[in-house]
Amino acid sequence: MNALNTFLFVAFPYVAVIVFVFGVAYRYRRRGFTVSSLSSQFLEGKTLFWGTIPFHIGILVVFFGHLTAFLLPRATLAWNSIPVRLIVLEVTAFTFGLSVLVGLTALMVRRVTNPRIRAVTTKMDIAIELLLLAQVVLGCWIALGFRWGASWFAADLSPYLWSLVKLAPETGAVFALPWVIKAHIVGAFAILFMVPFSRLIHFVVAPLHYIVRPYQQVIWNWDRKSIRNPNTPWSKTRPNNS
Amino acid sequence: MRFLSQCAGLAILSLSAGPPSLMAQQSGEEIFQQKCVACHTLNADRLVGPGLAGVMTRRDRAWVKRFIMRPDLVLGSEDSIAAGLLEEYLVPMPNFGITDAEAEALIAFLGGGGGGAAAGETAAAPDVVEPATEEQILLGQDLFQGKIRFTNGGPTCNSCHDVIHDAVIGGGVLAAELTTVFSRLGGPGVRAIIGSPPFPVMQRAYLNKALTDEEVAALVGFLQQADAEQALHQPRDYGIKLFVAGVAGTVILLGLYSLVWRRRTTGSVNQSIYDRQIKST
Repeated sequence: MNALNTFLFVAFPYVAVIVFVFGVAYRYRRRGFTVSSLSSQFLEGKTLFWGTIPFHIGILVVFFGHLTAFLLPRATLAWNSIPVRLIVLEVTAFTFGLSVLVGLTALMVRRVTNPRIRAVTTKMDIAIELLLLAQVVLGCWIALGFRWGASWFAADLSPYLWSLVKLAPETGAVFALPWVIKAHIVGAFAILFMVPFSRLIHFVVAPLHYIVRPYQQVIWNWDRKSIRNPNTPWSKTRPNNS
Repeated sequence: MRFLSQCAGLAILSLSAGPPSLMAQQSGEEIFQQKCVACHTLNADRLVGPGLAGVMTRRDRAWVKRFIMRPDLVLGSEDSIAAGLLEEYLVPMPNFGITDAEAEALIAFLGGGGGGAAAGETAAAPDVVEPATEEQILLGQDLFQGKIRFTNGGPTCNSCHDVIHDAVIGGGVLAAELTTVFSRLGGPGVRAIIGSPPFPVMQRAYLNKALTDEEVAALVGFLQQADAEQALHQPRDYGIKLFVAGVAGTVILLGLYSLVWRRRTTGSVNQSIYDRQIKST
């Protein structure tokens, strides 16, 4: 049992990080054009909205919530020391977790039921969606079944993760946690491990510059017959974007 | 657990001990009542740790002494007996800083004739903790749920523990529910566990953030009061409320998404282009 725990919470995290770093670098340099989310928005857009928006907004909030507790455990504990703030934080985190669950479910249903999407679906896509689904279900389970995660994460898991960063793993507390939480931790590193081999790699090339770039003006020549007529005055056929 | 294992070790010690003097028995009994009785019985009944009847016949005296004095070292040394106890009882016995003389006295008590473990006597867990003052109880209440932070920055108790008490919010459920912990472990047991956590998760959480004696006393007082007045308080189970709040929040979020992206393209991306072409031809 100890050997398995040691593998899962010491060896595997390092393997996952190494595979992630070198795998992403290799794929970016050697197969750069595959570093993409492989968007299927051109094939189907209506259901996609109710999948991708709840999923991505939820996952961003949940991810940065975990990151905050990892990087700033003292501040997290100080925030949680006021009971109302603790409850607000936990309910908010659970809400965005459910948002991830709703979005991911919609994406999976779309992928399975829409023939256009099915045609471009790979086995890896299905594997990744199942992995993510398991991870978010475990996360919601932990939020309800092992409250108040924001506090005990800061007290126990942040030190564990920092011990990995410092190359001096402290695993006593992690070994003693319930299996649901242990599975969630292993799932997180498994997702990291899978990034170079799947479309998850798109997050390293997220078009963050879109947030601050100037608008792109799209000009449309409305009346094509008129514009080709040399007798039509410019003022009547001027291109516009409305 | 560690405490239990330690007591088990003590019982083993007494097997190989010679006839103890009356003084040693009295002294050992006092130590037992103060430090061991919260988790161990003197008969075969399991409490938090194993019952200590006949423990000195099961274990080597030197091993028991070593285990009583430094259970953390024995548990960390891949000792097969200690590992087996930990696997069975789950909670490692804490290090109570028992001296050589105290260990000898305990061994004498557990292994001596006319009483103690060998005689299969049952000892009730006494409350040797002095009654807490009202101020201490209120302090413990605030410390438990974090309204007052621990001096050394440790996490609040309710991060992992719940207790039925109207004055505090529902606590965490990662670790044991503590409403009846005072009855189960007694004052010394509760104090020992808070002051020297035997559980790995709790140990890590309070590493270099030990509670002060005043904080420990306040928490023990609060838990004693919660135990005594449990019938007067309502349990706060947030389970279903948290779920409902989360679902309601998600519905609101979905509405917000729809509102923010109300001008999104709902048909085919090139539908409007197609329509314009048709219109202009």
